[in-house]
Amino acid sequence: MIDRLHSSTSISRRTALALPLGLAGLSAAPRQAAAEPEPVRGGTMVMIVNPEPSTLAHYAVSAGNIPMIATQVYEGLLTYDWDQKPQPNLAKSWEVSPDGKTITFKLQTGVTFHNGAPFTSADVQYSFMEVLKKVHPTAPVVLAELIAVDTPDAETAVFRLANPAPYMMKAMAARDLPIVCKSVFEGTDPLSNPTANKPIGTGPFKFVSWERGQSLRLDRNEKYWKPGLPYLNRIVARFIPDAGTRSAAMETGEAHFAGYSAVNYADVARMKQNPILDTTTKGYEMTPALSVLELNSHHPHLDKKEVRQAIAYAIDRTFIRDNVMFGYGEPATGPLSRKFVGLYTDQVRRYDVPNRLEIANKLLDDSGLPRGADGSRFELHLEVNSFGEQWLRQAEYLKQALAQIGITVILRSEDTATWLRRAYTDYDYDISEPFLSQGIDPVVGLNRQYLSSQIRKGVTFVNNSFYANPKIDRLLGEGRTEIDPAKRTEIYHKVQQILTEDSPLIWLVDVQYVSIFNRKLHNHTTGPLGTYQAFETAWLEK
Amino acid sequence: MRLARYLGYRLLLAVPVILGIIVLNFFLIHAAPGDAASVLAGESGAATPEYMALLRHKFGLDQPLSTQFAVYLLNMAHLDLGYSFRNDSPVLELILDRLGPTLLLMLTAFVVAVLLGSLLGVLAASGRNGWRDNLISLASLVAYATPGFWLGLMMIVVFAINLAWLPTSGLDTVGADNEGWDEVIDIARHLVMPATALSLFYLALYARVMRASMLEQTGMDYVTTARAKGQTERRIIFGHVLRNALLTVVTMAGVQAGNLIGGSIVVETVFGWPGIGTLAFNALQSRDLNLLLGIFFVSACLVVVVNLIVDLVYVTLDPRIEI
Repeated sequence: MIDRLHSSTSISRRTALALPLGLAGLSAAPRQAAAEPEPVRGGTMVMIVNPEPSTLAHYAVSAGNIPMIATQVYEGLLTYDWDQKPQPNLAKSWEVSPDGKTITFKLQTGVTFHNGAPFTSADVQYSFMEVLKKVHPTAPVVLAELIAVDTPDAETAVFRLANPAPYMMKAMAARDLPIVCKSVFEGTDPLSNPTANKPIGTGPFKFVSWERGQSLRLDRNEKYWKPGLPYLNRIVARFIPDAGTRSAAMETGEAHFAGYSAVNYADVARMKQNPILDTTTKGYEMTPALSVLELNSHHPHLDKKEVRQAIAYAIDRTFIRDNVMFGYGEPATGPLSRKFVGLYTDQVRRYDVPNRLEIANKLLDDSGLPRGADGSRFELHLEVNSFGEQWLRQAEYLKQALAQIGITVILRSEDTATWLRRAYTDYDYDISEPFLSQGIDPVVGLNRQYLSSQIRKGVTFVNNSFYANPKIDRLLGEGRTEIDPAKRTEIYHKVQQILTEDSPLIWLVDVQYVSIFNRKLHNHTTGPLGTYQAFETAWLEK
Repeated sequence: MRLARYLGYRLLLAVPVILGIIVLNFFLIHAAPGDAASVLAGESGAATPEYMALLRHKFGLDQPLSTQFAVYLLNMAHLDLGYSFRNDSPVLELILDRLGPTLLLMLTAFVVAVLLGSLLGVLAASGRNGWRDNLISLASLVAYATPGFWLGLMMIVVFAINLAWLPTSGLDTVGADNEGWDEVIDIARHLVMPATALSLFYLALYARVMRASMLEQTGMDYVTTARAKGQTERRIIFGHVLRNALLTVVTMAGVQAGNLIGGSIVVETVFGWPGIGTLAFNALQSRDLNLLLGIFFVSACLVVVVNLIVDLVYVTLDPRIEI
């Protein structure tokens, strides 16, 4: 059964890059070319979404593949410009009170949902208090301070907060907090709402049909409230499990857009040679993410700071960036992505010094962990990330890199469910290599990873290294409510310095995704949220 | 009448088989580590214990295994395959959506493999050790040794990208809104490459089996008798030898009908074909137990039915076999 033998190869390829949990980009102010031709109306844009979402319940599940479709249908109160400053969307204006505890949104008028119901402040109130706050997975962080939404009239929604929440204003786009229709949800359990897979929103495209395993169709919303938009008649999302075939669909022109590295990094160089295609790394500015190593400090050697530092010194992050990520991304210097402009700093303990191997070996020698006769000091198991074959490549490199300082690494590959259980419930691991989204603000990414209160058995992607530092707990608590930007910067600089010194995790690459598009498609990437915002101004050349 | 009684008897026998499969699958699947809630939360990137408890309660994962099993058996007794919480959709609906494309692909590949494979086997055997035999043997060896996914990708490169004759993937051209014959032709164009990739391995296998079987039969006494009666070679091959030689291929085809369901995962993946194989793989990855059990149930039924059909074909081919 030769087919059978090879099925495992193919399967690992099909889950490649399965989860675009987050991304990072660098340039801050990209622009479309100045001589942009006049938009053409009509046409069907085909985009590749990978993997196929399991559900479209965007208000209750925050998997990275859902918003590429859901943000065409659902809208948020705000959107963001290239400088990540809030811009009007369903809210035409807003005002934050000086104490940061009251936010007043003035809403657009004449907006209707796809089912014909008018959009009013009651929908905003219901979406936030009855749906998002109750069932959205990130609500316990992002909406923790929200007490109530008052609706003095149909066009005004007043958010009342217990404490200032500076990060909340960065989460008002459809990607994070979509507005749903009250009349559709009222009196139902939001987790089993019948519109979970037939979304009804106010967006430029209406949900039409979903052929599971193949494609999903969205048609132009004729009654869209922004005059003249959208330009496209239809968007079709195609689901192709195999990475090679996804590339082929772009090369033949069958598909026009593939975001979030739906096309393997390895194929991107070839795509660039194709005259009908082009690539961009823009549109990922608001989705920072790091690839990291989690270290289980319950392991007898990993509880020593010096051992963790030695591991950090042993790894050549530029090598990983160049060979595992095919040149995309930046070597990470600490726990925060460079995307957090202003809050990020590289003034920390640097592990990319020229004599790093020497330092690493000395640290281990001094820790009383001499090399044995075979040159090995001790053994560690590395849990290979199951979300794609690039992580196996990374694991293979790490095995080589740590061998240089006398640590023998044994790779363990298991499927996603088994891996997650081992790393976050059974804690039966030494090193795990996840890829962590950093969210809209350090509050999301840092707090769950380094607060001692986030050591929570059975919860995925939280503090499983058992890191507990009262100083960090205090600083992260302060960063949460500090509204003065300068003070906030100071707090997070300190956090980064302490964490890089303690090295509870090893930070590898500040991840950069890439979009491939057909040159006939224009205006596809119009803001820092990229494919996580509507293609309302996108258009196709005839 | 006798046929009806036989069919009834066989279907009755199928009941304990399928029941056994249901019970075995249920406990095997529950023995796998990890659950749907943790996978779902893992994909979300972040989740609170409250959110995960909420999910587990909704999925019924907080119940003892014995209770889950009792509920499952009760549902199955009503032929209710349950609800896939991950997909927010009834299991039966998900499977039925995929069953059509799977059957289309499987049957096409199956028919092509059996017919063409047998034909090539006959051609090779009748020209034994000649150029025809050598060419067919060599080609079938190559086809037999070529991995399906590689063949699929290479076909995409040649026929979709370079020559632009065929579409790369999918069941039909999405958003084209074809109707009538246009739609049939559209689907057929999409079917060519996956069906070829899936059938080639079996085609090669049947060609080799058929050749060996033909050669074996040629030495039998009844062939000598037929030849002594002065029958033409053509009539001997197609009237006598072929019929007997086919029995081996039919036996093999019956066994491999089950494999086709499993083997199609790779081909479905490469060609983005919306079939049962990828659905099952995703369900396993995400520990979507209801869906997985539903697929196993439907596949088991399919295999039972195919085997029944094969046994009936047997009777038609060889009158010595009685039902």
